[in-house]
Amino acid sequence: MVPALVVKTWRDDRRAIIGWSVGIAAFTTLYTGFYSQFQGTAELKEDALPPDMLEFLGIADMTSAIGYLQATIYSLIGPLLVIMAAITLTTRTIARPEEDGGMELLLANPLTRRAFATQRLTAAATAITTITAVPWLLVAILAPTVDMNVPQGNIAATNAGLILLVWCFAGIAFLIGAWTGRRTPVLVVTGTLAVATYLANAISGLLDGGDWLKWLSPFHYFIGTDPLRTGWHPAHLAVLAAIAVVTAVAGIRVFDRRDIGV
Amino acid sequence: MSGMSSDIAIHAEDLTKFYGSRRGVEGLTLDVKAGEVLGFLGPNGAGKTTTIRLLLDFLRPTRGDATILGLDPRRDKAALHRQIGYLPGELAFPGREKAADLLRFFAAARGGVAWSQVTALADRLELDLTRPIRTMSKGNKQKVGLVQAFMHQPALLILDEPTSGLDPLMQQEFLAMVADARADGQTVFMSSHVLAEVQQAADRVAIIRDGRLAALERVESLGRRAIRTVEIHFDDPVDAAEFTGLPGVSDVMVSGPILRCTVDGRLSPLIKAVARHEVIDLLSAEPDLEETFLSYYYTQPDQHTQIEGAR
Repeated sequence: MVPALVVKTWRDDRRAIIGWSVGIAAFTTLYTGFYSQFQGTAELKEDALPPDMLEFLGIADMTSAIGYLQATIYSLIGPLLVIMAAITLTTRTIARPEEDGGMELLLANPLTRRAFATQRLTAAATAITTITAVPWLLVAILAPTVDMNVPQGNIAATNAGLILLVWCFAGIAFLIGAWTGRRTPVLVVTGTLAVATYLANAISGLLDGGDWLKWLSPFHYFIGTDPLRTGWHPAHLAVLAAIAVVTAVAGIRVFDRRDIGV
Repeated sequence: MSGMSSDIAIHAEDLTKFYGSRRGVEGLTLDVKAGEVLGFLGPNGAGKTTTIRLLLDFLRPTRGDATILGLDPRRDKAALHRQIGYLPGELAFPGREKAADLLRFFAAARGGVAWSQVTALADRLELDLTRPIRTMSKGNKQKVGLVQAFMHQPALLILDEPTSGLDPLMQQEFLAMVADARADGQTVFMSSHVLAEVQQAADRVAIIRDGRLAALERVESLGRRAIRTVEIHFDDPVDAAEFTGLPGVSDVMVSGPILRCTVDGRLSPLIKAVARHEVIDLLSAEPDLEETFLSYYYTQPDQHTQIEGAR
């Protein structure tokens, strides 16, 4: 049976979950569906932009199906949207109720602090996973209908990477929220980390001797292996999963130790 | 004193909480007996909410500890909170749902509470459960808070300013609920900054001031110590000397035919002296127990020893 607090968390978050899912579904459908019309103009774009810019944007080639998918769904806006959704929902686990006072009645339920934090995170994590699985479902269905020749297994590998990338940032957001009980640090720190690590990955190939930078970036472990072409890379995915687990466990522990609502 | 025995609901030993260098509560040692109603009284900012949040393990003490229903607030939080009904002082409700939906969540989270229990309390407080809580008035929100605190018939009720926002009729209903809880053997620990309401419901009153326990007394002994200000209008001017020195009478001030004084305890010595004159009017202000009680302890520091004796 699903714990009452998990159900309550889902119910309180349902507008956000539905809203983000619909938005991300629209985004995915729009870009995937426009593949055939886009092809011609993509070629123009590719010629118009300098190669460094294309590399920075994570666009290898816009004309192939894989290049197009990567450029549109999986390189910038897609991850950005799901990470924003993840940060929003994770902020609601502890930081927001602690700031607005709703935590008082939630925490008065017969649960240990650890169980409380675990259930809040579990509810948020399942919601975030569902939202991030939306592009997977849509790309898997739509790709064949617009003649994209991308193996389903590679789509799965890529989207699994996206889910783990989002878990990674959700874990960081959770840790900061569980530690501080404040929304602003969660948004500022996690947002800054996301942007900084995205840039680190993007510019690592452009800088002489800057290649090592990519190893610091979760985005590298997600997309650096070119999973739409090369499929599964368990070691890379494991790094993302490890960050998610370590931050989640650390968050639960610090929440167990501190004063609440001071 | 063991404090572990089953007839002690709350045992606090040197309970202390500092927020950095700011004092929340310091050196609180207090026993609340099982089945009693304890009024926890003090001005705003005295440390009432800090104490309550320490008891609930929302805060961790800087020093000292507490035992609730024989359990450790931190280690046994899950088991303990099933037996506690808590009303926060600053009520904020998680989510945007109707009162009934939120209460269903509390019922499920506490391992199942008969719904008839919830509706009975809602009827008693005249609360409409079908309305979203965020559209409710402060008073109705307070009622939702009371329903969730009482609904699972907890062994211990910890209520922080329970009557705030309630109209006088509902305050009376609340006091009746406390009396019923007491009759059922539940322990009630309720904070307030108004002595009058606590006096009506409580067996004992603890007074906290500046983070420290200032006094702990049975309610009856509070009443006896009531100091009232008395103003008497006579037909003719009177002499102050007639009234100074009467037992319990102090601060005698006479201006022409008007006598003003304060009386500690019984009024009869003064009345007997007054009866020798023609009295036009007699005004006796409702005793402000909180002030007089506090002043009693603060003007007689040696009386602090009584706190120990009262435990």
